[in-house]
Amino acid sequence: MIVCKSPAEIERMRAANALVADVLAALAAMTAPGVTTADLDARAESLVRDAGAEPAFKGYRGYPASLCASVNEQVVHGIPSSRALVDGDIVSLDMGVKLNGFYGDTAVTVPVGTVEPEVLRLLRVTQESLAKGIAQVRIGSRVSDIGHAIQRHVEAGGFSVVREFVGHGIGAALHEDPQIANYGEPGHGPRLAEGMVLAIEPMVNMGKPAVRVLGDGWTAVTRDGSLSAHFEHTVAVTKSGPLVLTQRSVAPAAAR
Amino acid sequence: MARVTGDRPDGFDEVSVPGHGAASVEGTVMETLPHGLFRVVIARQRQVTAHVPSGPGRNFIRVLVGDRVRLELSARDLTRGRIVEKLG
Repeated sequence: MIVCKSPAEIERMRAANALVADVLAALAAMTAPGVTTADLDARAESLVRDAGAEPAFKGYRGYPASLCASVNEQVVHGIPSSRALVDGDIVSLDMGVKLNGFYGDTAVTVPVGTVEPEVLRLLRVTQESLAKGIAQVRIGSRVSDIGHAIQRHVEAGGFSVVREFVGHGIGAALHEDPQIANYGEPGHGPRLAEGMVLAIEPMVNMGKPAVRVLGDGWTAVTRDGSLSAHFEHTVAVTKSGPLVLTQRSVAPAAAR
Repeated sequence: MARVTGDRPDGFDEVSVPGHGAASVEGTVMETLPHGLFRVVIARQRQVTAHVPSGPGRNFIRVLVGDRVRLELSARDLTRGRIVEKLG
């Protein structure tokens, strides 16, 4: 069942989403060679708690941390650890918070130090595909139109789309209906209606699309060991089109 | 955090389902449907389709829109339930 939010509820959702966007921008700015993903997690949690909010992922279905930090071939749900980032790595930072009864969810992939041009292209294409997906968000279009636009752009760029994980509705729960696949034929699935709030999150692999989940039950990695990028925004469906609730006021490093 | 393709949305796993038995929840009747079915809203805005059990009391206790009722949810399909009690 898809929950539509009233304009007043969407206004209330702004707080959680603006906070998570700011936290993510701060984490992206902090990312540098030598920093560990546990450092990023600790910073994320303190920023969220200082703002009077709760980290959304901590304890969610047993997830042990506030942040998902997925390095290189890790696709999503990387558990922060004492692993130090190295010049040339990429790290996907995925963060969610709960504030005023609503969730906000957003992700970005950041290059660490200097990375190869082809890797920068992976980040750029993934971010562009997210924008293409968001551009499909309007009253009356179908859920699969979003995934189709993402898949077309990603595959035109020579990369592949992960099938095992999808975007989701978001609101008073972190994962609501509908599921938003990042692939598929257009014109299928529920029609978008005013007040739906969607977390759209393409996960893009440099090599083949297949992934597997490690023994920790969370960390997803590419089967072929290729690099993977992940960008996510929480977007509301409004009369005037898509409203990106997690827009960062400061551009993260990946946008360079 | 990405959702696993095909998993159930949040809220489904919060109803405890003991074995093959039924989960017991409270809800409010929103709508009367054909065939003696009712649309009932339970916690977290979830809607289920529920029926009144057969038997001699079936038409004696009327279930009306707005009634608070206790439901048993099927373990196999958490969108279906049986109304077992009228509350208050």
